[in-house]
Amino acid sequence: MVLTLAFRNLFHDRIRLAVTLVGILFSIVLVAIQLGMYLGSSRMITSMIERSNSDLWIMTYGAKSFEEGGILLTTRERHQALATPGVKAVIPLVVAFAEWRKPEGGSTRVVLVGTDAEDGALEPWSLVEGTWQDIKSPDAISADDTYFRELGINGIGDTAQIAMGRVKVKALTHRIRSFTQSPYVFTTLSRARSLLGAESDKATYYLVQLEPGANLETVRRELLNRLDGAEVLTKSEFEDRSLRQWLFRTGAGLALIGGALLGILVGTVIVAQTLYSSTKDHLNEFATLRALGSSSGYIYKVILAQAGLSAVIGYVLGILISLGILYISRNTPLPLVMTPGLAIALLGLTLFMSAVSAISAIIKVTRIDPATVFNR
Amino acid sequence: MTQPVLEAVNVVKELGKGAAKVVALKGVNLSLVKGELTLLMGPSGSGKTTLLSILGCILTPTSGTVRVEGEEVAGKSAEELAELRRRHIGFIFQSYNLFPTLSALENVRIALDVIGRKGYQAAQRAEECLRDVGLGNRLKNYPSNLSGGEQQRVAVARAIAASPSVVLADERTAARDSENGHAVMALLARIAKEQHRSGRRGAEAAGPRRT
Repeated sequence: MVLTLAFRNLFHDRIRLAVTLVGILFSIVLVAIQLGMYLGSSRMITSMIERSNSDLWIMTYGAKSFEEGGILLTTRERHQALATPGVKAVIPLVVAFAEWRKPEGGSTRVVLVGTDAEDGALEPWSLVEGTWQDIKSPDAISADDTYFRELGINGIGDTAQIAMGRVKVKALTHRIRSFTQSPYVFTTLSRARSLLGAESDKATYYLVQLEPGANLETVRRELLNRLDGAEVLTKSEFEDRSLRQWLFRTGAGLALIGGALLGILVGTVIVAQTLYSSTKDHLNEFATLRALGSSSGYIYKVILAQAGLSAVIGYVLGILISLGILYISRNTPLPLVMTPGLAIALLGLTLFMSAVSAISAIIKVTRIDPATVFNR
Repeated sequence: MTQPVLEAVNVVKELGKGAAKVVALKGVNLSLVKGELTLLMGPSGSGKTTLLSILGCILTPTSGTVRVEGEEVAGKSAEELAELRRRHIGFIFQSYNLFPTLSALENVRIALDVIGRKGYQAAQRAEECLRDVGLGNRLKNYPSNLSGGEQQRVAVARAIAASPSVVLADERTAARDSENGHAVMALLARIAKEQHRSGRRGAEAAGPRRT
Protein backbone atom coordinates (compact mmCIF):
# COMPACT_ATOMS: atom_id res chain seq x y z
CA MET A 1 0.00 0.00 0.00
CA VAL A 2 2.98 2.30 0.59
CA LEU A 3 3.90 2.14 -3.08
CA THR A 4 0.28 2.42 -4.19
CA LEU A 5 -0.30 5.53 -2.09
CA ALA A 6 3.00 7.06 -3.20
CA PHE A 7 2.22 6.32 -6.85
CA ARG A 8 -1.30 7.76 -6.61
CA ASN A 9 -0.11 10.85 -4.75
CA LEU A 10 2.45 11.43 -7.49
CA PHE A 11 0.11 10.91 -10.41
CA HIS A 12 -2.77 12.75 -8.75
CA ASP A 13 -1.29 16.08 -9.83
CA ARG A 14 0.12 15.51 -13.31
CA ILE A 15 1.45 19.04 -13.72
CA ARG A 16 3.46 18.87 -10.53
CA LEU A 17 4.70 15.43 -11.54
CA ALA A 18 5.80 16.87 -14.88
CA VAL A 19 7.72 19.64 -13.10
CA THR A 20 9.40 17.09 -10.83
CA LEU A 21 10.34 14.89 -13.75
CA VAL A 22 11.66 17.83 -15.75
CA GLY A 23 13.80 18.78 -12.74
CA ILE A 24 15.24 15.27 -12.42
CA LEU A 25 15.58 14.88 -16.17
CA PHE A 26 17.38 18.19 -16.52
CA SER A 27 19.69 17.22 -13.71
CA ILE A 28 20.43 13.76 -15.13
CA VAL A 29 21.08 15.06 -18.64
CA LEU A 30 23.32 17.85 -17.38
CA VAL A 31 25.31 15.53 -15.11
CA ALA A 32 25.48 12.83 -17.81
CA ILE A 33 26.77 15.32 -20.37
CA GLN A 34 29.31 16.85 -18.00
CA LEU A 35 30.57 13.51 -16.73
CA GLY A 36 30.34 12.05 -20.25
CA MET A 37 32.57 14.88 -21.43
CA TYR A 38 34.89 14.28 -18.51
CA LEU A 39 35.12 10.56 -19.32
CA GLY A 40 35.43 11.29 -23.04
CA SER A 41 38.21 13.75 -22.36
CA SER A 42 39.94 11.33 -19.99
CA ARG A 43 39.83 8.56 -22.58
CA MET A 44 41.26 10.82 -25.26
CA ILE A 45 44.02 12.00 -22.97
CA THR A 46 45.05 8.53 -21.86
CA SER A 47 44.26 6.46 -24.96
CA MET A 48 47.88 6.31 -26.23
CA ILE A 49 49.27 5.30 -22.84
CA GLU A 50 46.43 2.87 -22.26
CA ARG A 51 46.99 1.20 -25.64
CA SER A 52 50.72 0.81 -25.17
CA ASN A 53 52.12 -2.60 -24.38
CA SER A 54 54.47 -1.52 -21.62
CA ASP A 55 54.98 -1.84 -17.90
CA LEU A 56 56.98 1.32 -17.29
CA TRP A 57 57.58 4.60 -19.11
CA ILE A 58 60.95 6.33 -19.00
CA MET A 59 60.74 10.04 -19.71
CA THR A 60 62.69 13.23 -19.23
CA TYR A 61 62.24 14.67 -15.76
CA GLY A 62 59.17 16.94 -15.63
CA ALA A 63 57.35 15.65 -18.72
CA LYS A 64 53.84 17.01 -18.25
CA SER A 65 51.78 14.78 -20.50
CA PHE A 66 51.97 12.32 -23.40
CA GLU A 67 52.16 15.15 -25.93
CA GLU A 68 54.67 17.23 -24.00
CA GLY A 69 57.57 14.89 -23.31
CA GLY A 70 60.25 16.62 -25.41
CA ILE A 71 62.72 14.62 -27.52
CA LEU A 72 65.59 14.53 -25.09
CA LEU A 73 66.29 10.92 -24.20
CA THR A 74 69.28 9.30 -25.88
CA THR A 75 70.53 5.76 -26.55
CA ARG A 76 72.64 6.09 -23.42
CA GLU A 77 69.52 5.92 -21.26
CA ARG A 78 68.22 3.09 -23.40
CA HIS A 79 71.34 0.99 -22.86
CA GLN A 80 71.31 1.74 -19.15
CA ALA A 81 67.72 0.61 -18.99
CA LEU A 82 68.41 -2.53 -21.03
CA ALA A 83 71.20 -3.47 -18.64
CA THR A 84 68.82 -3.34 -15.67
CA PRO A 85 67.90 -6.75 -14.23
CA GLY A 86 64.29 -7.70 -14.94
CA VAL A 87 64.01 -5.60 -18.11
CA LYS A 88 63.07 -7.55 -21.24
CA ALA A 89 62.80 -4.71 -23.80
CA VAL A 90 63.18 -0.94 -23.99
CA ILE A 91 61.29 0.47 -26.97
CA PRO A 92 61.74 4.09 -28.10
CA LEU A 93 58.83 6.35 -28.97
CA VAL A 94 58.90 9.85 -30.45
CA VAL A 95 55.99 12.17 -29.73
CA ALA A 96 55.85 15.89 -30.48
CA PHE A 97 53.59 18.66 -31.68
CA ALA A 98 54.41 19.57 -35.28
CA GLU A 99 53.08 21.91 -37.90
CA TRP A 100 50.95 20.33 -40.65
CA ARG A 101 50.78 22.28 -43.85
CA LYS A 102 47.59 21.55 -45.74
CA PRO A 103 47.73 20.68 -49.43
CA GLU A 104 45.51 23.62 -50.33
CA GLY A 105 47.34 26.08 -48.10
CA GLY A 106 47.11 27.00 -44.43
CA SER A 107 48.41 24.99 -41.53
CA THR A 108 47.37 23.33 -38.32
CA ARG A 109 49.09 21.56 -35.46
CA VAL A 110 49.30 17.79 -35.23
CA VAL A 111 50.78 15.39 -32.71
CA LEU A 112 53.30 13.26 -34.55
CA VAL A 113 53.76 9.79 -33.07
CA GLY A 114 56.84 7.91 -34.26
CA THR A 115 56.80 4.24 -33.40
CA ASP A 116 58.04 0.95 -34.75
CA ALA A 117 55.05 -1.31 -34.48
CA GLU A 118 57.19 -4.43 -34.89
CA ASP A 119 58.70 -3.74 -31.48
CA GLY A 120 55.26 -4.33 -30.01
CA ALA A 121 54.99 -1.28 -27.76
CA LEU A 122 52.55 1.01 -29.60
CA GLU A 123 50.93 0.91 -32.99
CA PRO A 124 48.02 2.73 -34.59
CA TRP A 125 44.83 0.87 -33.70
CA SER A 126 41.52 0.89 -35.54
CA LEU A 127 43.13 1.14 -38.97
CA VAL A 128 40.23 1.27 -41.42
CA GLU A 129 42.29 1.70 -44.58
CA GLY A 130 45.90 0.72 -45.23
CA THR A 131 48.20 -1.33 -42.99
CA TRP A 132 51.30 -0.82 -40.93
CA GLN A 133 53.29 -2.01 -43.97
CA ASP A 134 51.80 0.92 -45.94
CA ILE A 135 52.88 3.32 -43.20
CA LYS A 136 56.41 1.97 -43.51
CA SER A 137 56.58 2.90 -47.19
CA PRO A 138 58.50 6.11 -48.13
CA ASP A 139 57.01 9.39 -46.79
CA ALA A 140 53.99 7.53 -45.45
CA ILE A 141 51.88 8.47 -42.48
CA SER A 142 48.45 7.52 -41.12
CA ALA A 143 45.82 10.14 -40.36
CA ASP A 144 42.44 9.87 -38.66
CA ASP A 145 39.35 10.02 -40.88
CA THR A 146 37.46 12.20 -38.39
CA TYR A 147 40.02 15.01 -38.87
CA PHE A 148 39.94 15.31 -42.67
CA ARG A 149 38.55 18.83 -42.57
CA GLU A 150 41.12 20.09 -40.05
CA LEU A 151 43.95 18.45 -42.03
CA GLY A 152 42.63 19.65 -45.40
CA ILE A 153 42.72 16.18 -46.93
CA ASN A 154 40.17 13.82 -48.46
CA GLY A 155 41.70 10.41 -47.87
CA ILE A 156 44.40 7.97 -48.91
CA GLY A 157 46.91 9.36 -51.38
CA ASP A 158 46.70 13.00 -50.32
CA THR A 159 49.94 14.75 -49.53
CA ALA A 160 50.90 17.43 -47.03
CA GLN A 161 53.95 18.68 -45.21
CA ILE A 162 54.86 18.00 -41.60
CA ALA A 163 57.50 20.34 -40.17
CA MET A 164 60.50 19.65 -42.35
CA GLY A 165 59.27 17.09 -44.84
CA ARG A 166 56.65 16.03 -47.30
CA VAL A 167 54.31 13.20 -46.28
CA LYS A 168 51.70 11.07 -47.99
CA VAL A 169 48.58 9.62 -46.35
CA LYS A 170 48.87 5.84 -46.78
CA ALA A 171 46.61 4.62 -43.98
CA LEU A 172 43.57 5.82 -42.09
CA THR A 173 42.60 5.31 -38.49
CA HIS A 174 39.04 5.81 -37.25
CA ARG A 175 38.10 7.90 -34.21
CA ILE A 176 41.50 8.18 -32.58
CA ARG A 177 40.58 11.60 -31.22
CA SER A 178 42.90 14.02 -29.50
CA PHE A 179 41.95 16.09 -26.45
CA THR A 180 44.23 18.91 -27.62
CA GLN A 181 42.34 18.92 -30.94
CA SER A 182 45.69 18.47 -32.69
CA PRO A 183 45.14 15.24 -34.67
CA TYR A 184 47.39 12.25 -34.01
CA VAL A 185 49.50 11.30 -37.02
CA PHE A 186 51.38 7.99 -36.90
CA THR A 187 54.58 7.24 -38.75
CA THR A 188 57.75 5.20 -38.27
CA LEU A 189 60.24 6.12 -35.58
CA SER A 190 63.01 7.12 -37.97
CA ARG A 191 60.67 9.18 -40.18
CA ALA A 192 59.30 11.01 -37.14
CA ARG A 193 62.85 11.88 -36.04
CA SER A 194 63.65 13.04 -39.53
CA LEU A 195 60.50 15.16 -39.90
CA LEU A 196 61.07 16.78 -36.52
CA GLY A 197 64.76 17.37 -37.17
CA ALA A 198 65.75 15.23 -34.19
CA GLU A 199 68.97 13.26 -34.02
CA SER A 200 68.71 9.59 -34.92
CA ASP A 201 69.36 8.36 -31.38
CA LYS A 202 66.80 10.60 -29.68
CA ALA A 203 63.46 9.59 -28.23
CA THR A 204 60.64 11.10 -26.19
CA TYR A 205 59.91 7.96 -24.20
CA TYR A 206 61.33 4.54 -23.63
CA LEU A 207 58.63 1.97 -23.06
CA VAL A 208 59.89 -0.74 -20.75
CA GLN A 209 58.62 -4.31 -20.89
CA LEU A 210 59.58 -6.52 -17.94
CA GLU A 211 60.79 -10.09 -17.87
CA PRO A 212 58.07 -12.49 -16.69
CA GLY A 213 58.07 -12.58 -12.89
CA ALA A 214 60.12 -9.41 -12.48
CA ASN A 215 58.96 -7.14 -9.68
CA LEU A 216 57.77 -3.83 -11.07
CA GLU A 217 58.75 -1.72 -8.05
CA THR A 218 62.19 -3.30 -7.79
CA VAL A 219 62.89 -2.70 -11.47
CA ARG A 220 61.59 0.85 -11.22
CA ARG A 221 63.89 1.60 -8.25
CA GLU A 222 66.85 0.13 -10.11
CA LEU A 223 66.06 2.16 -13.22
CA LEU A 224 65.82 5.36 -11.19
CA ASN A 225 69.22 4.63 -9.66
CA ARG A 226 70.78 4.20 -13.07
CA LEU A 227 69.10 7.03 -15.00
CA ASP A 228 70.02 10.62 -14.22
CA GLY A 229 67.45 13.28 -14.97
CA ALA A 230 64.83 10.79 -16.03
CA GLU A 231 61.60 9.68 -14.46
CA VAL A 232 60.14 6.22 -14.46
CA LEU A 233 56.36 5.98 -14.21
CA THR A 234 53.90 3.13 -14.40
CA LYS A 235 51.17 3.36 -17.02
CA SER A 236 48.56 4.46 -14.52
CA GLU A 237 50.89 7.08 -13.01
CA PHE A 238 51.57 8.53 -16.43
CA GLU A 239 47.83 8.50 -17.23
CA ASP A 240 47.15 10.37 -13.99
CA ARG A 241 49.84 12.91 -14.78
CA SER A 242 48.46 13.53 -18.27
CA LEU A 243 44.95 13.86 -16.88
CA ARG A 244 46.14 16.33 -14.24
CA GLN A 245 47.89 18.37 -16.88
CA TRP A 246 45.03 18.64 -19.35
CA LEU A 247 42.01 18.47 -17.10
CA PHE A 248 43.07 20.24 -13.93
CA ARG A 249 45.99 22.53 -14.74
CA THR A 250 44.00 23.93 -17.68
CA GLY A 251 40.81 24.14 -15.59
CA ALA A 252 38.82 22.12 -18.15
CA GLY A 253 38.15 19.27 -15.74
CA LEU A 254 37.07 21.60 -12.96
CA ALA A 255 34.61 23.28 -15.32
CA LEU A 256 33.15 19.87 -16.22
CA ILE A 257 32.91 18.75 -12.59
CA GLY A 258 31.50 22.16 -11.63
CA GLY A 259 28.81 21.79 -14.29
CA ALA A 260 27.94 18.33 -12.98
CA LEU A 261 27.66 19.64 -9.41
CA LEU A 262 25.44 22.46 -10.62
CA GLY A 263 23.20 19.89 -12.30
CA ILE A 264 22.93 17.90 -9.08
CA LEU A 265 22.16 21.06 -7.10
CA VAL A 266 19.47 22.30 -9.49
CA GLY A 267 17.87 18.85 -9.67
CA THR A 268 17.86 18.48 -5.89
CA VAL A 269 16.28 21.91 -5.36
CA ILE A 270 13.54 21.32 -7.95
CA VAL A 271 12.70 17.86 -6.63
CA ALA A 272 12.78 19.07 -3.02
CA GLN A 273 10.46 21.95 -3.86
CA THR A 274 7.90 19.81 -5.68
CA LEU A 275 8.06 17.02 -3.11
CA TYR A 276 7.56 19.51 -0.29
CA SER A 277 4.54 21.08 -1.96
CA SER A 278 3.10 17.62 -2.73
CA THR A 279 3.53 16.62 0.94
CA LYS A 280 1.90 19.88 2.02
CA ASP A 281 -1.07 19.14 -0.23
CA HIS A 282 -1.43 15.65 1.21
CA LEU A 283 -0.82 16.70 4.80
CA ASN A 284 -4.37 15.83 5.86
CA GLU A 285 -3.94 12.35 4.48
CA PHE A 286 -0.70 11.90 6.39
CA ALA A 287 -2.45 13.20 9.54
CA THR A 288 -5.21 10.63 8.93
CA LEU A 289 -2.60 7.89 8.62
CA ARG A 290 -1.06 9.06 11.88
CA ALA A 291 -4.47 9.09 13.58
CA LEU A 292 -5.12 5.58 12.29
CA GLY A 293 -2.03 4.58 14.20
CA SER A 294 0.64 4.46 11.52
CA SER A 295 4.19 4.86 12.74
CA SER A 296 6.29 7.83 11.60
CA GLY A 297 8.37 5.32 9.65
CA TYR A 298 5.35 4.28 7.59
CA ILE A 299 4.72 7.90 6.55
CA TYR A 300 8.40 8.44 5.79
CA LYS A 301 8.26 5.36 3.59
CA VAL A 302 5.39 6.87 1.60
CA ILE A 303 7.34 10.12 1.07
CA LEU A 304 10.55 8.28 0.23
CA ALA A 305 8.64 6.01 -2.14
CA GLN A 306 7.27 9.12 -3.87
CA ALA A 307 10.82 10.46 -4.14
CA GLY A 308 12.10 7.08 -5.34
CA LEU A 309 9.38 6.70 -7.97
CA SER A 310 10.08 10.21 -9.26
CA ALA A 311 13.76 9.37 -9.33
CA VAL A 312 13.33 6.15 -11.31
CA ILE A 313 10.93 7.66 -13.87
CA GLY A 314 13.08 10.79 -14.21
CA TYR A 315 16.21 8.66 -14.50
CA VAL A 316 14.81 6.48 -17.29
CA LEU A 317 13.73 9.54 -19.30
CA GLY A 318 16.98 11.37 -18.53
CA ILE A 319 19.21 8.47 -19.49
CA LEU A 320 17.32 7.96 -22.78
CA ILE A 321 17.83 11.62 -23.69
CA SER A 322 21.47 11.43 -22.61
CA LEU A 323 22.04 8.37 -24.82
CA GLY A 324 20.53 10.29 -27.73
CA ILE A 325 22.92 13.19 -27.10
CA LEU A 326 25.79 10.71 -26.79
CA TYR A 327 24.92 9.22 -30.17
CA ILE A 328 24.82 12.66 -31.79
CA SER A 329 28.19 13.55 -30.23
CA ARG A 330 30.03 10.50 -31.53
CA ASN A 331 31.67 12.35 -34.44
CA THR A 332 32.19 15.68 -32.72
CA PRO A 333 35.59 16.88 -31.46
CA LEU A 334 34.62 15.75 -27.98
CA PRO A 335 32.59 12.54 -28.13
CA LEU A 336 30.73 11.91 -24.88
CA VAL A 337 31.21 8.59 -23.13
CA MET A 338 28.68 6.59 -21.15
CA THR A 339 29.86 3.49 -19.35
CA PRO A 340 27.70 0.98 -17.45
CA GLY A 341 29.46 2.24 -14.33
CA LEU A 342 28.48 5.83 -15.05
CA ALA A 343 24.88 4.80 -15.79
CA ILE A 344 24.68 2.93 -12.47
CA ALA A 345 26.36 5.83 -10.67
CA LEU A 346 23.81 8.22 -12.18
CA LEU A 347 20.95 6.02 -10.93
CA GLY A 348 22.51 6.01 -7.47
CA LEU A 349 22.99 9.76 -7.66
CA THR A 350 19.37 10.30 -8.72
CA LEU A 351 18.07 8.16 -5.87
CA PHE A 352 20.36 9.94 -3.43
CA MET A 353 19.32 13.35 -4.77
CA SER A 354 15.64 12.44 -4.40
CA ALA A 355 16.19 11.06 -0.90
CA VAL A 356 17.91 14.32 0.10
CA SER A 357 15.04 16.21 -1.52
CA ALA A 358 12.60 14.28 0.67
CA ILE A 359 14.16 15.65 3.86
CA SER A 360 12.19 18.91 3.81
CA ALA A 361 8.96 16.98 3.24
CA ILE A 362 9.80 14.56 6.05
CA ILE A 363 10.51 17.45 8.42
CA LYS A 364 7.11 18.91 7.50
CA VAL A 365 5.38 15.59 8.18
CA THR A 366 7.23 15.13 11.48
CA ARG A 367 5.41 18.20 12.77
CA ILE A 368 2.00 16.85 11.85
CA ASP A 369 -0.58 16.97 14.61
CA PRO A 370 -2.93 14.01 14.16
CA ALA A 371 -5.57 16.02 16.06
CA THR A 372 -6.08 18.09 12.89
CA VAL A 373 -8.13 15.21 11.49
CA PHE A 374 -10.91 16.21 13.85
CA ASN A 375 -10.90 19.82 12.75
CA ARG A 376 -11.67 19.29 9.08
CA MET B 1 -17.99 -6.75 36.37
CA THR B 2 -16.81 -6.33 32.77
CA GLN B 3 -13.42 -4.64 32.37
CA PRO B 4 -13.85 -1.33 30.48
CA VAL B 5 -11.99 -1.14 27.19
CA LEU B 6 -11.72 2.61 27.48
CA GLU B 7 -11.83 4.55 30.68
CA ALA B 8 -11.49 8.24 31.48
CA VAL B 9 -11.15 9.30 35.12
CA ASN B 10 -11.51 12.92 36.11
CA VAL B 11 -10.12 14.14 32.77
CA VAL B 12 -9.35 17.84 32.48
CA LYS B 13 -8.21 19.50 29.29
CA GLU B 14 -7.10 23.10 29.09
CA LEU B 15 -6.52 24.64 25.67
CA GLY B 16 -4.49 27.83 25.03
CA LYS B 17 -2.35 29.79 27.44
CA GLY B 18 -2.62 32.81 29.69
CA ALA B 19 -5.66 34.98 29.08
CA ALA B 20 -6.66 32.85 26.11
CA LYS B 21 -6.81 29.70 28.20
CA VAL B 22 -10.05 27.73 27.89
CA VAL B 23 -11.04 24.76 29.99
CA ALA B 24 -12.49 22.44 27.35
CA LEU B 25 -13.11 19.49 29.67
CA LYS B 26 -13.60 19.67 33.40
CA GLY B 27 -13.43 16.41 35.35
CA VAL B 28 -14.93 14.02 32.79
CA ASN B 29 -15.48 10.44 33.84
CA LEU B 30 -16.40 7.84 31.27
CA SER B 31 -16.23 4.11 30.93
CA LEU B 32 -16.88 2.10 27.76
CA VAL B 33 -17.35 -1.65 27.74
CA LYS B 34 -17.45 -4.12 24.88
CA GLY B 35 -20.64 -4.59 22.93
CA GLU B 36 -22.08 -1.30 24.09
CA LEU B 37 -23.04 1.66 21.92
CA THR B 38 -22.53 4.92 23.77
CA LEU B 39 -23.76 8.19 22.36
CA LEU B 40 -22.56 11.56 23.50
CA MET B 41 -24.44 14.60 22.33
CA GLY B 42 -24.05 18.23 23.08
CA PRO B 43 -23.95 21.72 21.63
CA SER B 44 -21.14 23.00 19.48
CA GLY B 45 -18.08 23.86 21.61
CA SER B 46 -19.07 21.61 24.48
CA GLY B 47 -15.86 19.60 24.13
CA LYS B 48 -17.09 16.45 22.37
CA THR B 49 -14.30 16.41 19.81
CA THR B 50 -11.68 17.23 22.45
CA LEU B 51 -12.89 14.33 24.57
CA LEU B 52 -12.89 12.09 21.53
CA SER B 53 -9.30 13.11 20.72
CA ILE B 54 -8.23 12.31 24.28
CA LEU B 55 -10.05 8.96 24.33
CA GLY B 56 -8.47 8.17 20.97
CA CYS B 57 -4.96 8.84 22.35
CA ILE B 58 -4.48 11.71 19.93
CA LEU B 59 -4.51 14.45 22.57
CA THR B 60 -3.20 14.04 26.08
CA PRO B 61 -5.25 15.37 29.00
CA THR B 62 -3.97 18.23 31.16
CA SER B 63 -4.82 16.08 34.16
CA GLY B 64 -6.73 12.93 34.88
CA THR B 65 -6.27 9.37 33.71
CA VAL B 66 -7.13 7.58 30.49
CA ARG B 67 -6.79 3.84 30.20
CA VAL B 68 -7.07 1.75 27.05
CA GLU B 69 -7.63 -1.94 27.76
CA GLY B 70 -6.30 -1.25 31.25
CA GLU B 71 -3.13 0.38 29.93
CA GLU B 72 -2.53 3.90 31.17
CA VAL B 73 -1.91 6.47 28.45
CA ALA B 74 -0.04 9.06 30.52
CA GLY B 75 3.67 9.42 29.82
CA LYS B 76 3.61 7.56 26.50
CA SER B 77 5.54 8.90 23.53
CA ALA B 78 3.87 9.84 20.23
CA GLU B 79 5.01 6.52 18.72
CA GLU B 80 3.70 4.54 21.70
CA LEU B 81 0.35 6.33 21.46
CA ALA B 82 0.23 5.53 17.73
CA GLU B 83 0.83 1.90 18.60
CA LEU B 84 -2.06 1.98 21.12
CA ARG B 85 -4.33 3.40 18.43
CA ARG B 86 -3.16 0.73 15.98
CA ARG B 87 -3.91 -2.07 18.43
CA HIS B 88 -7.14 -0.94 20.04
CA ILE B 89 -8.92 2.00 18.41
CA GLY B 90 -10.85 2.53 15.20
CA PHE B 91 -11.90 5.98 14.09
CA ILE B 92 -14.71 7.39 12.02
CA PHE B 93 -13.89 11.04 11.40
CA GLN B 94 -16.55 13.65 10.91
CA SER B 95 -15.34 14.39 7.35
CA TYR B 96 -14.53 10.68 6.84
CA ASN B 97 -10.95 11.60 5.80
CA LEU B 98 -10.87 9.09 2.99
CA PHE B 99 -7.87 9.11 0.68
CA PRO B 100 -9.15 10.66 -2.55
CA THR B 101 -6.57 8.82 -4.67
CA LEU B 102 -7.47 5.37 -3.33
CA SER B 103 -10.50 3.25 -4.14
CA ALA B 104 -13.00 2.22 -1.45
CA LEU B 105 -11.23 -1.13 -1.11
CA GLU B 106 -7.79 0.49 -0.90
CA ASN B 107 -9.06 2.99 1.68
CA VAL B 108 -9.96 0.08 3.92
CA ARG B 109 -6.82 -1.89 3.09
CA ILE B 110 -4.58 0.97 4.15
CA ALA B 111 -5.93 0.76 7.70
CA LEU B 112 -4.85 -2.88 7.71
CA ASP B 113 -1.54 -2.04 6.09
CA VAL B 114 -0.54 0.35 8.88
CA ILE B 115 -0.98 -2.46 11.40
CA GLY B 116 1.14 -4.75 9.27
CA ARG B 117 -1.63 -6.85 7.67
CA LYS B 118 -0.80 -7.07 3.99
CA GLY B 119 -1.41 -9.15 0.90
CA TYR B 120 -4.33 -11.29 -0.16
CA GLN B 121 -5.73 -11.81 3.34
CA ALA B 122 -5.80 -8.08 3.97
CA ALA B 123 -7.60 -7.53 0.66
CA GLN B 124 -10.12 -10.20 1.60
CA ARG B 125 -10.71 -8.68 5.01
CA ALA B 126 -11.18 -5.21 3.50
CA GLU B 127 -13.68 -6.59 1.00
CA GLU B 128 -15.54 -8.41 3.75
CA CYS B 129 -15.83 -5.18 5.78
CA LEU B 130 -17.12 -3.26 2.78
CA ARG B 131 -19.69 -5.99 2.12
CA ASP B 132 -20.68 -5.77 5.80
CA VAL B 133 -21.56 -2.10 5.36
CA GLY B 134 -23.38 -2.76 2.09
CA LEU B 135 -20.73 -1.59 -0.34
CA GLY B 136 -19.84 -4.91 -1.94
CA ASN B 137 -20.64 -3.46 -5.33
CA ARG B 138 -18.60 -0.25 -4.85
CA LEU B 139 -15.17 -1.72 -4.09
CA LYS B 140 -13.34 -0.09 -6.98
CA ASN B 141 -15.05 3.27 -6.70
CA TYR B 142 -13.07 6.31 -5.65
CA PRO B 143 -14.46 8.61 -2.92
CA SER B 144 -15.33 11.24 -5.53
CA ASN B 145 -17.67 8.70 -7.15
CA LEU B 146 -19.41 7.79 -3.91
CA SER B 147 -22.28 9.61 -2.23
CA GLY B 148 -21.79 11.15 1.23
CA GLY B 149 -23.54 8.19 2.83
CA GLU B 150 -21.41 5.70 0.94
CA GLN B 151 -18.23 7.55 1.90
CA GLN B 152 -19.34 7.36 5.48
CA ARG B 153 -19.85 3.62 5.22
CA VAL B 154 -16.35 3.24 3.74
CA ALA B 155 -15.12 5.13 6.82
CA VAL B 156 -17.06 2.69 9.02
CA ALA B 157 -15.56 -0.28 7.15
CA ARG B 158 -12.09 1.20 7.59
CA ALA B 159 -12.69 1.70 11.32
CA ILE B 160 -13.76 -1.91 11.92
CA ALA B 161 -11.31 -3.58 9.51
CA ALA B 162 -8.56 -4.15 12.07
CA SER B 163 -11.10 -5.45 14.64
CA PRO B 164 -10.30 -2.78 17.22
CA SER B 165 -11.48 -2.95 20.82
CA VAL B 166 -13.38 0.30 20.43
CA VAL B 167 -14.62 2.44 17.55
CA LEU B 168 -14.78 6.19 18.08
CA ALA B 169 -17.01 8.10 15.70
CA ASP B 170 -17.03 11.85 15.45
CA GLU B 171 -20.20 12.32 13.58
CA ARG B 172 -21.24 15.89 12.88
CA THR B 173 -22.30 15.23 9.31
CA ALA B 174 -24.82 12.57 10.20
CA ALA B 175 -26.56 14.94 12.58
CA ARG B 176 -27.26 17.23 9.65
CA ASP B 177 -28.61 14.38 7.58
CA SER B 178 -30.84 12.50 9.92
CA GLU B 179 -31.74 9.68 7.55
CA ASN B 180 -28.11 8.89 6.86
CA GLY B 181 -27.27 9.46 10.52
CA HIS B 182 -29.83 6.92 11.63
CA ALA B 183 -28.58 4.43 9.07
CA VAL B 184 -25.01 4.74 10.36
CA MET B 185 -26.25 4.52 13.95
CA ALA B 186 -28.08 1.32 13.12
CA LEU B 187 -24.98 0.00 11.36
CA LEU B 188 -22.73 0.78 14.32
CA ALA B 189 -25.23 -0.73 16.75
CA ARG B 190 -25.33 -3.91 14.68
CA ILE B 191 -21.54 -4.07 14.47
CA ALA B 192 -21.18 -3.44 18.21
CA LYS B 193 -23.63 -6.21 18.92
CA GLU B 194 -22.28 -8.66 16.36
CA GLN B 195 -18.64 -8.12 17.08
CA HIS B 196 -19.03 -7.36 20.77
CA ARG B 197 -17.25 -4.09 20.25
CA SER B 198 -18.02 -0.91 22.15
CA GLY B 199 -18.67 2.36 20.39
CA ARG B 200 -19.03 5.98 21.22
CA ARG B 201 -20.70 8.42 18.94
CA GLY B 202 -20.53 12.17 19.29
CA ALA B 203 -22.94 14.28 17.37
CA GLU B 204 -22.71 17.99 17.12
CA ALA B 205 -25.88 20.01 16.80
CA ALA B 206 -26.88 23.64 16.92
CA GLY B 207 -28.26 23.19 20.37
CA PRO B 208 -28.52 20.48 22.99
CA ARG B 209 -30.20 17.37 21.63
CA ARG B 210 -32.28 14.72 23.20
CA THR B 211 -30.51 11.42 23.35
